[in-house]
Formats: sequence, structure tokens, C-alpha cells
Amino acid sequence: MDLGLVVYALNLAAIYALMAIGISILWSSVGMINMAHGATFAVAGYTAWLVTGALKPMIAATFGKTALASAVMAGALVGSALLAGAVCGIIIYALAFLPIHDKPNYPVRALIITLALNIGTVQALLYFFGPRNQGLPKIFGFGRWEIWGAKIRYDQAGTIIGAALIMSLTLAWLRYSRRGLEVRAMMQNAEGAAYSGISRQVTALPVLMLTGALAGMAAALLSQTIFVSPTAGVVPLVKGLTIALLGGLGSVPGAMIGALLIGFLEAIVGVVPFLGQRYVMSATFGFIILVLIIRPRGIGGLLDDTRE
Amino acid sequence: MPELLQINQLSAGYGPLRVLHEIDLTAHTGERIGLVGLNGHGKTTLIRAITHMTGWQQGSIRFDGTEIGGSRSLGSGRRTPRLIKMGIAVAPQGDAIFPGLSVRKHLECGAHTKLAWRERRQRMEQIFDIFPALKPLQHNLVGKLSGGERRMVSIGRMLMSDAKLYLIDEPSLGLAPKISKRVMEALWALPVEGAMIIAEQNVSLLAGRADRIVGMHAGRMRGDVGHVELA
Repeated sequence: MDLGLVVYALNLAAIYALMAIGISILWSSVGMINMAHGATFAVAGYTAWLVTGALKPMIAATFGKTALASAVMAGALVGSALLAGAVCGIIIYALAFLPIHDKPNYPVRALIITLALNIGTVQALLYFFGPRNQGLPKIFGFGRWEIWGAKIRYDQAGTIIGAALIMSLTLAWLRYSRRGLEVRAMMQNAEGAAYSGISRQVTALPVLMLTGALAGMAAALLSQTIFVSPTAGVVPLVKGLTIALLGGLGSVPGAMIGALLIGFLEAIVGVVPFLGQRYVMSATFGFIILVLIIRPRGIGGLLDDTRE
Repeated sequence: MPELLQINQLSAGYGPLRVLHEIDLTAHTGERIGLVGLNGHGKTTLIRAITHMTGWQQGSIRFDGTEIGGSRSLGSGRRTPRLIKMGIAVAPQGDAIFPGLSVRKHLECGAHTKLAWRERRQRMEQIFDIFPALKPLQHNLVGKLSGGERRMVSIGRMLMSDAKLYLIDEPSLGLAPKISKRVMEALWALPVEGAMIIAEQNVSLLAGRADRIVGMHAGRMRGDVGHVELA
């Protein structure tokens, strides 16, 4: 396998992992399958588009065509996408968690409400911005490195590094902060968490903001490769959900491994003769279905078994 | 001695089922109360009612001068974290452990006040003094510990933050006699200033050590403990 293919696979895996981890953490700690994750993705993309569009003349006037200008632009793009994702998280908290979280069948109700939010948001984006694709400024610039004959585009490298950075920060937060400990405790035993003074209402808000920000980060990074459009969130949502399932819903390492597997699978299927790009989707879902038939608890279950 | 916990005419249950019938119980600061009764006679439900883990309840529970009972059901567990933060520490039946966390992380979960979180290392050392068996296991996952070790972890978590009222549900349940004796000895030796209520089936573990023993029968309070066999 040549290096270019590996980079392409890692690039896909980075975006998928950002989406899948958010869905996985949210399900296990708050008990919500967030169908509005795709809407969060699209809203974050549009916010970044609006903010960078508004700031472009100002940045050009202040910094000219320097490296600093592109750094400020990158900061504005990523920052606005993260912020928009977190704000979407707050809205989901207010609409799909707070009013119903102690009612019977909460997971199903939350699923329905977030699905409605998703459809509503996509329609609203279509209404205001139209179906046209919007291009965001390329924060990593145009160009490529050549390493051992393989060509690595800047945006691919930037996506992989950016995603790895934000995921390490998320994992460190889960590992070392009190809030992160609360999330992990809630994931494992809700009653024990309540007896440790951990409130679901209080902890759910930062979790929703974090997972929203992860979707925002995924949007900011994917916008470097493709365009932003109202329906841009659909494929990341479906991929994120299925990879979270493959990882064994609730397992963060499982979701990461799942994302890597699917990233490499898609990259390889895309270049295999007789298969090619048009079989990527069916190969992905076929693989996930096969894994879940053999291992219903997904990769996370497999990890638990090896630990025991 | 000031009254710390005052329960008046408390009824509670799950769904349509009424388990507790007009319970009256008072606990004073510094008091250690043994709550005895056979399986299914309401000991655990009483502890769950105090911490709002039951589905519904009627009557009054005053804790430290504040009314924490309620005639309206708020859903089980919804108010529990707030009550814990008010100063009620619980070691629940079945331990309610986090199987994927290490012993250290598990104890850290109990440090829910700002002060306790800052002092968590010292407090953890104190708990390892109380339960020396946990010290060599501190990096092990709790899910892999034995029943007795889990019980120690559960009690340790309860002790990580300062509380005024400690509720311990069946500390000897499912443990070998030797281990349960050791856990009980550690409980009696705790340097706890607040009140402690220990629910227990085995009266012999409480006899002579608790300040007061109250009995429960069919969801009602009984002053005597005659219906429980003195094993």
C-alpha cells in the first residue's frame, strides 16, 4: 500500500472518528442518540462560512497577504465552527434533554425530537441559503508535500493533525478533570453516579456542548476538502452513527478503532480493481453488518473481553 | 443533641406498590443507629426514600432543619445528587460500583465537594489506612475486585466527602463472615462526627456497638427486634 492511500484513509478516519466519538459519548452518558448531530455539523459549517466571509475584508486590510493573515483566518474558521457546535449543543440540551429526561422511554423521545430538529434545521438552511455549495477559505493553503514519492496535500495533513489534537484534548479532559470523571462514572452506573453527587441535568450540558463542538470541528476540517451545503451533515451523521455502533455504542476507543477500520476499508475498496468508488458505501455497511452479526457488542465488547 | 434527621409519617413505594407505611424515625448528631429487619421488609426502601431514589413518597423528612421529603414525585434519582451535596453520604446495597474505573478513580468520584476534590490525595490515603487491603489494589479496575473489596471501595467512596448523615445499606450482604466482621469493625471505628444509619439483617453484627437498634417489619417501624432471629 502506498503512503498516499494511507494518508487518504487516515483523513477519512479522522472525520469519522470526530463524529462517532461525539455520538458514542452522548449515548452512554446522557442516553441520547443525537440525530441532530448532522444538523450541528451543517450549522457549524455555515457559521464558519458566514464568519470567515464577514471577516475576510477586515483581515485582508489589517494583515495583508501574510502568514499571519491565514493564521487569523484559520483561527476564525475553527473557532466559529467550534462555538456554533457548542451553541447547537445548548439548544439540543434545552429542547431534547431538559423537558423530557426523566419521562418514560426517554431515549426514544430524544431520538424523535433530535430527528425533528435535524430535518427542521436542514430545511431552514435550504430556505435561507439555498441548495448551492459554499466554499470556505482554505486555511491550510494549497500545495502538497512529496514524501517517498507519495503526494500529501496540506489539507489532508491538517485534517489528520487537527482531529488528532482535538481528540487527545477530549480524552485528556475525560481522564483528568472532575467533569470528565463524572461523565465516565455516569456512563458506567447511573445510580452510583447519583450517590456520588453527580447530577445528570448538570453534567449533560457540558457533554452536549463538547459533542457539538466535536461535530463543529469535523465540519471545519471537512470543509477544507469538500464544500458546505445544507445536506452536508447527512453522510457524516450516518457514518458517525454506524461507526459508533461498530465501536460498540459507548466505547470511545472502540469508536476510534472503528473509524480507522472504516477509513482504511473505504480507501482500499476505492482503489481495488473491479470495485472502485461506487462500491465504497455497500462495502462499508456490509462490513459493519457482518461485524455486528458476529460481535453484537461491537469492537468495544471485544476490547472488554480482552481486558478480562 | 440536635436532631439531624427527622422522619414523620413517611410512606413510600414503587409504582402502585406501597412498601413503607407511616414511618417515624429520628437520628441525632453523633448517633449510630442499627436498622434491622428481614429481607423485603423495607430497610433498603427507607434508605432509598431518604435519598429520593424511590418512585414516590408522602410525609415529611427533615434533614438538618430543611424539608427534603415531598408529597410530589419528582422521578427517581432526580433530587439525589442535590441531597448528597447537602451532606448525606450513601453506601448503597449492591455497591453501585463503576466497573471500568480504577479504585483510585472510583474514590475520586466520591470527592464531590470542592474541598474534598482539592484534598483527594490525602483523603484517599486516609481511606487506605482504614482499609489497608485496598492500597495494593489502587490501580486495579473495580469490576475485577472481590465482593469484600468492592464493599470497601463503596464505603470508601462514601467517606471521601464530609457528610452529616451516613446511610449504609447491608454492609455484610454477600460477604464471608470473616470479611463482613472486618468491614463492620472498620465501620464502627470510623472517625465520623455525624449520624450513621446501618441497615443490616445480622443483628449480632450490630449488638453492643450501635447506640440504638430499631426494627422494621412489613414496612413499619417496630421498637423491638424480636422478629429477627438473633443469629
